[in-house]
Amino acid sequence: MAILDKTILEIHEALVKGETTPLELTKEALRRAKEDTNNAFEFINEEEALKEAAALTEVEVDNPLWGIPYICKDNFSTKGIPSTASSNVLNGYKPLFDATVVEKLREKHCIMIGKSTLDELAMGGTGTTGHLGKTFNPYDPSHKRMMGGSSCGSAAGVAAGIAPFALGSDTGDSVRKPAAFGGLVGFKPSWGRISRYGLFPFAPSLDHVAYFTRSVEDAAIILEALSGRDLHDSTSSTRKVEEYYKDLNPSLKGKRIAVLKDIVNSISNEKVMHVFNASLEAMKKEGAIIDYVEFGQEALESIYATYIVISCAEATSNDANLDGIKFGPYYEGKTYQEVMYNARTKGFSELIKRRFVIGSFALMRENQDVLFLRAQRNRAKIVERTNEILKNHDAIYVPAAPNVAPLFEGSSDKLSDEYLIADNHMALGNFAGLPSITVPLGFVDGMPIGANLMNGAFKEGEILSLSLALENLSGLKGLSINERKGGRFE
Amino acid sequence: MKEINLDVLHDAAHRLLFDMSDEEYQTLLEEFGILTKQMELIGKIEGLENYPPMTFPFPCEVDYLREDVATEPLSREEALSNAGSVLDGEIKIPKVVG
Amino acid sequence: MNFEAVIGLEIHVQMKTKSKMFSSSPNAFSKSPNTEVTVFDMAYPGTMPVVNKQAVINAIRVANALHMEIDHTICFDRKNYFYSDLPKGFQITQQFRPIGKNGYLEILDRDNKKKRINIERIHMEEDTCKQLHFADYSLLDYNRAGTPLVEIVSRPEIRNGTEAMRYVEGIRNIVVYSLTSDGKMEEGSLRCDVNVSLRPYGVKEFGTKVEIKNINSLKNIEQALDYEIARQSAMLLSGTPVQQETRRFDEASGKTILMRVKTDAVDYKYFPEPNITPIALSDEFVQNAIDTCPELYESKKARYVASGLSDTDADIILSDINMASYFESALKSAKKEKTLANYLIVEVNGYLNKRGISILDFPLEPEKLGELTNLQEDGFTHKQCVDILNYLLEEPTLSVEEARKAKGIEKMVQDDNLVLSLVTEALNENPQSIADFKGGNGRAIGFLIGQVMKKAKGKVNPADVSRVMNEEIKKR
Repeated sequence: MAILDKTILEIHEALVKGETTPLELTKEALRRAKEDTNNAFEFINEEEALKEAAALTEVEVDNPLWGIPYICKDNFSTKGIPSTASSNVLNGYKPLFDATVVEKLREKHCIMIGKSTLDELAMGGTGTTGHLGKTFNPYDPSHKRMMGGSSCGSAAGVAAGIAPFALGSDTGDSVRKPAAFGGLVGFKPSWGRISRYGLFPFAPSLDHVAYFTRSVEDAAIILEALSGRDLHDSTSSTRKVEEYYKDLNPSLKGKRIAVLKDIVNSISNEKVMHVFNASLEAMKKEGAIIDYVEFGQEALESIYATYIVISCAEATSNDANLDGIKFGPYYEGKTYQEVMYNARTKGFSELIKRRFVIGSFALMRENQDVLFLRAQRNRAKIVERTNEILKNHDAIYVPAAPNVAPLFEGSSDKLSDEYLIADNHMALGNFAGLPSITVPLGFVDGMPIGANLMNGAFKEGEILSLSLALENLSGLKGLSINERKGGRFE
Repeated sequence: MKEINLDVLHDAAHRLLFDMSDEEYQTLLEEFGILTKQMELIGKIEGLENYPPMTFPFPCEVDYLREDVATEPLSREEALSNAGSVLDGEIKIPKVVG
Repeated sequence: MNFEAVIGLEIHVQMKTKSKMFSSSPNAFSKSPNTEVTVFDMAYPGTMPVVNKQAVINAIRVANALHMEIDHTICFDRKNYFYSDLPKGFQITQQFRPIGKNGYLEILDRDNKKKRINIERIHMEEDTCKQLHFADYSLLDYNRAGTPLVEIVSRPEIRNGTEAMRYVEGIRNIVVYSLTSDGKMEEGSLRCDVNVSLRPYGVKEFGTKVEIKNINSLKNIEQALDYEIARQSAMLLSGTPVQQETRRFDEASGKTILMRVKTDAVDYKYFPEPNITPIALSDEFVQNAIDTCPELYESKKARYVASGLSDTDADIILSDINMASYFESALKSAKKEKTLANYLIVEVNGYLNKRGISILDFPLEPEKLGELTNLQEDGFTHKQCVDILNYLLEEPTLSVEEARKAKGIEKMVQDDNLVLSLVTEALNENPQSIADFKGGNGRAIGFLIGQVMKKAKGKVNPADVSRVMNEEIKKR
């Protein structure tokens, strides 16, 4: 049943016309999920999904999310449904409450068909470090290429056509990078736009709820559904939620687009640059003004270390609650310290532990000045520069990654001296809390690539309109492995 | 900054209540070498000291305070449902000394 | 050589708000374990803190009572450490920007001279869970986890146990009368950690600091410090260095006992809480919190004293906020504060002490006690009033008037001529008693007064009889 490969809006139309039902869709999604070979799922929510879908009989014409199946990253709290964040430290944990976004989607009558794999506790970018192992990129049936992370399972699920959208979380680029590797739209709105209540924290000052869709219009619809003030999340914004879908206006005329010169110059893959440049030409034709802007090499090169220090410092504190006493596997010990020590030693993978040590080191009294506070100062400086560029431009536009999805072989999660600014620039959007969206741009060697658009805080409406304009140019709306199409920029 | 060697890393890991394999400590030591070098470079960025450390991505002062109203708590069974060691409606751990 | 003690206090006060500091679970101090808990209190992943408005209002009131500068921007920080009673592995507190700083409290020193103790800071934070220790295991009760606290940190300007006790008493009075807390040391709603070091007089540097934890009464603060100062002083005199350590006060022996020697200072790796954005308090909000603060101890005391109560009587009534509240309700009907106070302090307290109950369980409505004291103002004797009171306590549904009538108690007649004639009569009838009195038997006069009272059937005031009798007997 190919309808599951369509966009939310297309599926909605079919539901309204009576061409399919929520139950039919859910059954098909569950079937595909069970046949998934990419290691996208932590848990398939079969029983409950079928029950919920069966109860949906009166189509809600005005609610495009009615009866739509979706996938939820396993670091969202789901009441009564196992939530492990792909870490052994949370094996068997059944939350007592739903994350606000999960609740909102339930109210819209979306059907959660499963919980997806991630890099353990969302701390990673490869989609390889979760307790179920590697998640594979569906575009490479040989299973040699990664999906990217940390929201690997959600990305793989949507790319494989299992559901038309999926929830993820984005602390550095954890949705926007895998979106690029999976030919998907990956959107992270402003910090505070969507409540984080129920999202297992990695680094709250950088964490965002984000999601994958197959079209920009769908991204607008989901944003409208998820956004808004939440009294459970003190950091959620009180700003009015706009009518993002209705207000979409895909015009590029007179729009000033800043292309970061330092980043594009650093990309050596000519095929990637060919597609990207073709997109620039197409945008120019539509009346966009393209400015090449220098961000500052020094600043771009400092992003990764700054990100590691801040995110690991916050993470070591957030995850101090994982001690096996209140939830998660309990291990015996002679003292309470031993009990916690056993739970944490056995529960965390080695990568996570290394990150925790780094974070805790950064926070130590004698180190704070040169590590944590220095990183926070540098964050301020980088944010200032970003906002400076956006003051004169409607968006910053760059390739989301310098290459297609990397091979597992030769990749590593260890910190390395080989530093690629084009691989880490999307953390700018987290530093500054800005709307940042990845859209598919085309294919290189049969693998998808994407580009990223970013603009000022709470200008979600504008970035979605620009993205829609770009999507119209690329012709890549509604991609999945079952609905491959060539892009117009190739 | 504290000098980093394997002993210091062992101590830091133990204070975080976990242990790692010897190989991982070695990896960590190398990672620290890279990170401190990069952080030193950041320290040399001109004018960095003029920037106040940033916690929140943009100014986001609010005036909201929660009204002091109690809501229905969890039942004891629920509250303890995920705990692996329970006795008489409380979580049981080895005797805490000092 | 003489040493000067340098004492600083950290006081943790549990607030009696309806909900917790950062979560909406009830803050009702239930005895039934793990029944006042929500997902936040147990640090379930994804839960987030939301600041309690009343806790902020309380903290502002206490800060204002302590003459502190109040920060109109509320910020929180994380204090990171692992302990079995700390569910999140960190405590949310206000390390970098306390809600109040640079205040003071005026106390009376040992010579009852006014002394100002400067206060460094007051900040809000959350309590940990409660641990119950058994022979070979401990149990965790999360009811207390997240209870709002204010911590008040003094400057090290206290010099002896008495000052420390009075300082804590002053703080307690503020938190109790601002309705911030029960302020009960014995129940842990006001907890006190004391730091004490000694240095030779004239020396500026501080000596080695010893911390005394878990002192559970005002009296014990004084005792613990007096003991500790003597202990350290003896050590220093004998050339033994004082160790940096944590001790506790043992009530039975009156001594402080070593708990643990402190090694390197714990590094709490503080950093700003990223889940609470700064909260801007408007000037009106802060002012309103201050303006609506219930009347504090010192103000009530001044009012009581101005109305005729002695200093001591005012303190006795104010020592229990419920007593003070009863007093003020009774004042609505009582004509004279002093008389009412006497009844409260002697009769009512006597009744409560005998039964071991609190004023909250006293059977008589305050308005009735007020009316009763008015009888004494109207000329009934104290004894008559006490009789009526006792009857009312048995029959609390009766009105004061009904009780008086039921007991057949009539007002004394204010008639000096009647008294004189009855006294004369009694003297005439009892010459032997006059002789006994003249012979030095003081008790004889009591007999004579008794004769008069009998004749008057209790209607004259014994005080009048006594005065006239003394005058007349001298004339014989």
